[in-house]
Amino acid sequence: MRVSIRVGDVRSQANPIAMKCRLFLAFAASALALPGTAGAGVSVWFVADGKPVPIVRSGTTIERAVEQLLAGPTPAEHSRGIRSAVPRFTPLLSVTVSRRIVTVDLGARFAAGRDESALHGRVGQLVRTVRSIPGVLAVRLLVEGGVPVGLFPGYDLRSPVTAAVDRVPHQPVTIDFQRQLVDLGFMAPSGLTGTVDAQTSTAVLGFQKWSGLERDGTLGVATIVALQRAARPEPARRAPGRRIEIQLRRQLALLIDANRVVRAVHISSGAGGKTPTGSFRIYRKERYSWSVPFKVWLPWASYFTGGVALHEFGSVPTYAASHGCVRVNHYDAQMLFGFAETGTPVDVFDEAAV
Amino acid sequence: MTPRTAIGALVGGFGVVVGLVGSAAVAAAVLVALGLPADIRAEDPPPAPVVQPRPSVLVVALSLGDPVLQAGVVRDGEVILARGLEVDIARNLARRLGIPHVRFVYVRPASRLLAARAHPWHIVISSIRPTRTASSLADLSEPYLLTDQAVVLRRGLPRLTTLGDLQSKITCALRGSDGARAIAASVVPVVRPILAPSIDRLLQLVQTGVCDAAVVDADGVGRLVAGRAGVLGQITARVEFGGGYVVAVTRGGPVAVAEVERALQRMRADGTMHRLAGAWLGIDPARLRPLR
Repeated sequence: MRVSIRVGDVRSQANPIAMKCRLFLAFAASALALPGTAGAGVSVWFVADGKPVPIVRSGTTIERAVEQLLAGPTPAEHSRGIRSAVPRFTPLLSVTVSRRIVTVDLGARFAAGRDESALHGRVGQLVRTVRSIPGVLAVRLLVEGGVPVGLFPGYDLRSPVTAAVDRVPHQPVTIDFQRQLVDLGFMAPSGLTGTVDAQTSTAVLGFQKWSGLERDGTLGVATIVALQRAARPEPARRAPGRRIEIQLRRQLALLIDANRVVRAVHISSGAGGKTPTGSFRIYRKERYSWSVPFKVWLPWASYFTGGVALHEFGSVPTYAASHGCVRVNHYDAQMLFGFAETGTPVDVFDEAAV
Repeated sequence: MTPRTAIGALVGGFGVVVGLVGSAAVAAAVLVALGLPADIRAEDPPPAPVVQPRPSVLVVALSLGDPVLQAGVVRDGEVILARGLEVDIARNLARRLGIPHVRFVYVRPASRLLAARAHPWHIVISSIRPTRTASSLADLSEPYLLTDQAVVLRRGLPRLTTLGDLQSKITCALRGSDGARAIAASVVPVVRPILAPSIDRLLQLVQTGVCDAAVVDADGVGRLVAGRAGVLGQITARVEFGGGYVVAVTRGGPVAVAEVERALQRMRADGTMHRLAGAWLGIDPARLRPLR
């Protein structure tokens, strides 16, 4: 079957030739209803909240469906947030069916504009609308009788299109957030597990401290939004070589090499200002250090002044809670111990005062 | 030397001179008698170039496919509704060449644009690089669009002024791209560059500060960073690499490559090229400062 309808050919009812044309048009329109077309109506595809949505309209033919698409949403539908990327008043030049492949020829207006997502979206709407009619295998799009090349991003229209191509933006998942935390220096690459675990929560806490967000360790909306735009932490001071900045207000230790933050570590310093501020150097290191006054083993201990050390501890709350030492979380303690060689400068300060 | 021997030498020398002049005259006479071609006689005027009448339509061959550089609708081999940077450049060229109309023809694949035996078009403007093969098949203009590599910095980094500034930075590029090749060949950084598997990942590396500077195609960088204001740093400069795209002019046609070059120079001088590049690419790569 091969039927062609050229819309606008019939201009005058008084003209007998025109009357014959109208009869032909009616015949052709009915012929275009492919076998299996439902009588209840046609699905015309629009967009709501960025997603394609079908709206059932009257009519049973392909031509009717395309006309309804070109007409756009009704005012009532528009008020419900239904939109169309197809320019209104785009002329329909012809609809042809051959071997269950529908060729739709539209006016130049269909290719108007430079917005790539709109150009992509309107082809998707057309393909969905025509393909939703039972029996249609594919859609060939013509504009002014020619084949569009490169006009509609995402579609190669030199051959018939069998399905609309979705351009769904990548929805980030846990592994993406973890990669972001690694990139920003809040987590070791070993933390790329794809599941929200204790190591991820620890890294999130560090990020929340740096960003001034609520310190709950969860990947909530505010944290995710901040992660999308975040940059790597910058040191508060400039100095050559390897060093450590302990920022008391943020409760973060920044491991810095050549003024570049290698890692930002979630810590807990001395409660009530018990950790002394100033510039120190690592002077003693112990894989396991026995704390005489508190009778507890301190793993990965790097002493920088008196009996005050950076060391691993089981409990690292989001606030200053220790007796004066700087508690380091389990996931970063060993790395920090390796970084803080004897003689490494340690600056302890309230960053608000810098 | 006695006067006698001096006179003898003088007479002998005169005889040699007379002999040489006589030989030259005989040789000239022989050459004339042999029928020397007229075009190497010094006193003849040079041949007049064959001047083809100026056409009323400039026929431009396109290969289409890039929504920014050239796209359109193909009907019976002709391109209607053509648009894109290269299409606008072609229209501007025609106007400056005094040709009132432009007709675009579609040639696929792009390799046929220059290699075809018959060229039923006057110029080709289709992202052609000035390769040796291309220059053997057509007259090539100076580049109308640079294909150098642009440098996008991470936030907070100051503008680069020399290639040395870039060498000390952590650079990154798309794996297998011209950017990666430019880093290896021209930048030669101190720290091993990071090669990203995708553009999204590349931009993320710059955003998060894992990498200081991304090296990407200058003609695509404007679109790449569009909508990412505040997340990335500035597009600071370009690394000269890869030359540019040129107009190929059909030999023996009514348009001369010198005319095309003059028109392109005027487009550059009066800001037309800058305006077109800004409109289609987001930035004009030619306005980025080269790092040396």
